[in-house]
Amino acid sequence: MCGFAIPGWAEDDLSFNDQEVPTSLDDFRQIQRVIQSHLPKARAATVCLKLENGSGSGVIVSAEGLILTAAHVTGGVGKEMTVILEDGTEYRGVSLGLQSETDAAMFQIIDDGPFPFVSYDQEDTTKLGDWLFALGHSGGFDQSRGINVRVGRLVRDAESTIQSDCMLIGGDSGGPLFNMNGEVVGIHSRVGGSKEESMHVPLREFQRNWEQLLGEEFIGEGPFAQKGVPGTGFLGVLVEPDSDDGLKVIEVWENSVAQQTGILVGDHLIDLAGEKLTAELFREEMRRRCAGDVIELQWKSGDQIKKQKIQLGQRP
Amino acid sequence: MRVLTAIFLFFGPFLAANTLPSEKRKNGPLIQEALAPVQVYLQESSAVFYDNETYKNFIYGTVVSADGLILTKASELDQVSDYVVRIGTKKYRDVKVLATDAQWDVSLVAVDAEGLKPVDLKGESEVELGTWVVANGASERRFRRPRPGIVSAKRREIPGGTPAVLGIRFKMEDQKLLVLEVTKDSGAQKAGVKKGDLITSVDTMTIESEQSLVEYLRNKAPGDELKIGIEREGKTLELTVALVARHELYGGPQNRNDQMSGEFSARRTSFPMVLQHEVMLSARSVGGPLFTLEGKFLGMNIAAANRVESYAIPVENLSELFQRLKDKASIK
Repeated sequence: MCGFAIPGWAEDDLSFNDQEVPTSLDDFRQIQRVIQSHLPKARAATVCLKLENGSGSGVIVSAEGLILTAAHVTGGVGKEMTVILEDGTEYRGVSLGLQSETDAAMFQIIDDGPFPFVSYDQEDTTKLGDWLFALGHSGGFDQSRGINVRVGRLVRDAESTIQSDCMLIGGDSGGPLFNMNGEVVGIHSRVGGSKEESMHVPLREFQRNWEQLLGEEFIGEGPFAQKGVPGTGFLGVLVEPDSDDGLKVIEVWENSVAQQTGILVGDHLIDLAGEKLTAELFREEMRRRCAGDVIELQWKSGDQIKKQKIQLGQRP
Repeated sequence: MRVLTAIFLFFGPFLAANTLPSEKRKNGPLIQEALAPVQVYLQESSAVFYDNETYKNFIYGTVVSADGLILTKASELDQVSDYVVRIGTKKYRDVKVLATDAQWDVSLVAVDAEGLKPVDLKGESEVELGTWVVANGASERRFRRPRPGIVSAKRREIPGGTPAVLGIRFKMEDQKLLVLEVTKDSGAQKAGVKKGDLITSVDTMTIESEQSLVEYLRNKAPGDELKIGIEREGKTLELTVALVARHELYGGPQNRNDQMSGEFSARRTSFPMVLQHEVMLSARSVGGPLFTLEGKFLGMNIAAANRVESYAIPVENLSELFQRLKDKASIK
């Protein structure tokens, strides 16, 4: 595995964590050796979470496909996303609960496992100055590059946030921060004013809310996720009932998601999430739906039946 | 693809936070001290280019011969006309650019020196992910500061993402491209293309659609020259237009990740092969050597791509490139 066996150092010797700073190159070599011993497993469990129009990262912590990620990545409860492993394998999954004040969130792969997974720091043993490594799909999934690895130390420790000097960028959000036992100690959340300030949700924050997160609860009032407000979802069409053909589109708003999807005046909306559309159902659904919700719509355009998942916009 | 960013810039204080002093952090001075054995290699084999107007260093170079040959990043060197070079503690005023390779964005320059300690170009750069590497951090006049990082991703080609443009807006009209606008300082303007011109051909290609030109340009790089067939007021003419990097004409950071990356390299794509690491570099600190903890030369830093990714040209490729540049400059 490692090019440099260091005389007198066991593979699991983490005494560098007890030093103020490394004092010799051998200290650095031991850090490297330990990181490299954990990388294969850590990389296998680190995933890209792909949404309709963006991506974040996450980490699998059970063979059944439970994923820890950030609340601002999932953005809500019950959202469907694609999970991509480093080798490009894709699975389907859905977001569970989130803690909107600390940015903790859970996600579940719905395909069958078992999945590669890592353990997490259950005893909250990681302390200030400990060496860490961060993984993530920086800037989105890139198979030729693979997962991006960064090294650093735990530089600040506050109750609901830990800070490291592992550098992060967009796309890393939700990805794992590991200690030198190869355990997840934090989830990437946000960055500070300088390149070397990275904030992570500590694992204790997940553990404190574990059951609620598993139970698909939306906890808190933000800022990392906002509860949808019913009635704010907007498709951007005006419809009228048209006998048995469904709802006839009589107007399409400029720049609305309906227009972007390609719904045209004269088309007929026929089915919503497997249910035949009536004027009542449509009205009721739109009253219930929030901006950002995804609906599955079937409509008829000329002779063609079209079917698509559409993310609702914000009602003006 | 848009990327979910760590959106929330966090400036608030951590109340009662437990904080590690900055000198003990990864890029702090105590860590630099611990890297003293590697600093020696940076000190000997790095060249620092100083702008004579601002007295600031604007790019680094890698010393590749005892008698003063240096490799550096061409597109950054081009930005400054009057400069001096420091190697170790010595200053060299007379600097000559001998040859440039546009594909790798590398220039071969010479100073009049002897007894320098060049990097070892016979080495190899195959190292495992997670291996420590050391490059130049901030520089003092007489002292190169080491900055650590690790090899952070798979070695790979970085495809062309520096779009090359003619500098015109156009639309299709009767199987010809009508020039609607010519951008100031573009290759098209310099070659004399005018608004209202009808473009009938590009190199040997006849124009079939707007898309066909866009596709054709996709395989071209900034600096390439195209022969453009034009109809103007009933006459036909042929102009030679040099392509320009899109960001040079139309500027600036393109996305949110760029905005949060600070001073990244303007030319950061289209390299046949790179070794990626996470030593924190800026546009002004690439060009220098990348070493292992043992002082083994792995390659030359060629781009600060963004805040988490730095690219180096692997030593094997650099060695070949050095030979080609020497041939070009007719040096034995």
